[in-house]
Amino acid sequence: MADRTATVTWGGSLMEGAGTIESVGSGSFGPLDVTWASRAEDSDGRTSPEELIAAAHAACFSMALSHALAQAGFPAERLETSATVTFVPGTGITKSALTVRATVPGIDEATFHEQAEGARVGCPVSKALAAVPEITLDAALS
Amino acid sequence: MPRIVREAEIDWEGTTARGSGVVTGLSSGAFALATTIASRVADPEGKTSPEELLAAAHASCYVTSLGSELARIGTPPERMHVHCLITMDEVEGMGHRIVSSGITARGVVPGADAATFAQAAEAADAGCPFSALIRASATVTIHAELEGAS
Repeated sequence: MADRTATVTWGGSLMEGAGTIESVGSGSFGPLDVTWASRAEDSDGRTSPEELIAAAHAACFSMALSHALAQAGFPAERLETSATVTFVPGTGITKSALTVRATVPGIDEATFHEQAEGARVGCPVSKALAAVPEITLDAALS
Repeated sequence: MPRIVREAEIDWEGTTARGSGVVTGLSSGAFALATTIASRVADPEGKTSPEELLAAAHASCYVTSLGSELARIGTPPERMHVHCLITMDEVEGMGHRIVSSGITARGVVPGADAATFAQAAEAADAGCPFSALIRASATVTIHAELEGAS
């Protein structure tokens, strides 16, 4: 079992106030500023819940794919994954789009796509985001 | 309302067991963080993980929902402090699953009593997009503590 924690503070109103991701359990980041404007409009150098979800999803997918490729006998040399999360205020988080470019010596296209699709469906963050209407994957060997 | 798009990426080198990745917030440029499988499932050793990033996402999403709710009922907060704990566990037959997210919300809220704050904390959970998502597959708990209340 793994527990992971984060602490956020906020002062003032939603529109004019500001928040800070003060710290996380690992100590690896924080403080990071968050504001409503940087979430809903231009990010202006500040992170947002959606960017953090994108980071979590890209990282989780990469670990799952790396593991699956190794299990299939084709360990990856390098995986470059991005996730783009779409948020519609009033509706919610509507999409997470994964893109991966992979360097995997010796693998054929069909096996690679099968493993990539398995990671898209099976990684713990994809499962946690199962209520997101669209989780898409653009996978290619580089 | 307009669609809001936020992007992040990770570069992973080597195998899962011995390799490592660097996860970057592309939209903001606000972070570039190392992560490994060992730091995800065992001791973090100063490295982040998908679950920690989700904890930060949930806390920062929930805090804006709580602020809106308190303002809506006429008691805007002076200050809020939200802690989130995400648990991933191995579930029989289902592999690793994110099983729960526990929110603890503390606030300095002039004019609100403990019952009002607790109600607002529940309403904020119902209005938080991240809570709505993760509740489909995990348990979300809310613990509310009003600060400075008699």
